Amino acid sequence: MSSDSSKGFFERMRGVRDSAMEDLAKLTLAWTSSDSYQAINAAISRPALLAAGIFRKATESAMADLLARLNMPSREDVLALSQRLTRIEMVLDDLGAGMDQFHRGSSRQQRPAAREREGNGDRRQAAGPPAKEG
Amino acid sequence: MPASDAAAAPGLLSRLSTMAANLTKVTTTRAPIGQTPRQVIWTLNKATLFRYTPVVRDERRHPIPLLLVFALMNKSSILDLRPGNSFVEFLLQKGYDVYLLDWGTPGPEDAQTDLGDYVLEYLPRAIRKLKSFSGSAEFNLLGWCIGAMLSTLYASLRPSDGLKSLILLTAPLDFTQHDKISLARMTDERYFDVDRVLQAFGNMPAGLIDYGAKMLKPVENFVGGYLRLFDNLDNTKVVDSWHAMNTWVSDAIPLAGAAYRQFILDFYRGNKLVKGTLTVRGEKVDLRQVRASLLNVIGEDDHITPPCQSEGILEMVGSADKELLRLPGGHIGLMAGSGAAKVAWPKIDAWLSERSA
Repeated sequence: MSSDSSKGFFERMRGVRDSAMEDLAKLTLAWTSSDSYQAINAAISRPALLAAGIFRKATESAMADLLARLNMPSREDVLALSQRLTRIEMVLDDLGAGMDQFHRGSSRQQRPAAREREGNGDRRQAAGPPAKEG
Repeated sequence: MPASDAAAAPGLLSRLSTMAANLTKVTTTRAPIGQTPRQVIWTLNKATLFRYTPVVRDERRHPIPLLLVFALMNKSSILDLRPGNSFVEFLLQKGYDVYLLDWGTPGPEDAQTDLGDYVLEYLPRAIRKLKSFSGSAEFNLLGWCIGAMLSTLYASLRPSDGLKSLILLTAPLDFTQHDKISLARMTDERYFDVDRVLQAFGNMPAGLIDYGAKMLKPVENFVGGYLRLFDNLDNTKVVDSWHAMNTWVSDAIPLAGAAYRQFILDFYRGNKLVKGTLTVRGEKVDLRQVRASLLNVIGEDDHITPPCQSEGILEMVGSADKELLRLPGGHIGLMAGSGAAKVAWPKIDAWLSERSA
């Protein structure tokens, strides 16, 4: 009996909480969708972004100086190297695909020849590895 | 103590101990997501093409492979959330040969990677590998969110590349009804300086993207989700599901700076795709060039990509075989929610299976 009543109490409390949450969600959504919210957000974020940009530029230039003194590659050098590696990877990918296509083409050419040999009764040679030339 | 209360005490203790164990689990561990066996068949920079291990014999499998392309700012593991609730697992069981293009996590060196790189460098190469690996000259493509946008650009720029069917899930393509799109208001030029953000960070940071998406429904995202967890803390099944989704949500990734800039300027602000003025690497994107069979799936309760952003696209493409599928659900819940396995997945399978032979 007592557990039933406490369960009922908690259910009622949950109902009150959920309906309060729903109202709060509608209110917040109306606020975050408004122009005034976007304007406030922009007013706060603009100086923060400006400061972050200046800080980033300053640390990068200080780091570049330090790395140059230590005769080490700068961040820019490493980033450029990475981009070049990606380009090389693309060229290798194209070459690999070209090789694949070439192999498929040559194996397609070999298959009719092998079938022709099979037709002539030379089954052993057709099933075996391709004969070496020269 | 009344006798009935004394009898209930062991049950209460066990419930409390389950709640404590579940709370410890969600606060101290990451849920294991993306568990379906797969192999890497191609990589380029951070992008990886996976092939999922088929579970159906060759003769019962659909001959045309299916490539999944997810968005750029979240991990693709949402497509394979957890055993029993995985779209990939479902597709494998239905006999599809499933490939997934994972874009990876861009680093500072990828800040100049733009949509042209994704659509004309990465995607065609991954597709070339898929075709050579599967031995099929044709393929089907399923894109979700920005993945759907990239797939649309690809389908219109390379219509003769063997694409048989295209499935778009919650695709942000049409920005005509600017006022109905919450993210468009948020990124309006009066309030959001995209160049300043990229000057400060290089790439668009994952935290900012996540914050922006969550602020579209702040109470639900910052409070409601945790209250749901608290209410069901003694229900391990619900907790495991929440934990898997939370692990995925909190694992956002940055978006390459140049691609993000194009996305904001050319799509959110310029609406260039629909206006017919979009160019990618100097090539004009013409939606009438999309000739593959098209299924456009829309979530009726999607607040990130509201229906108005993609429902009109059907009239603009050149495909003769096209269909609009409106389903109940939000941007992610549509495909990864508890009802997805009963509603969205079977409908997609029914459409796709006819076009995979």
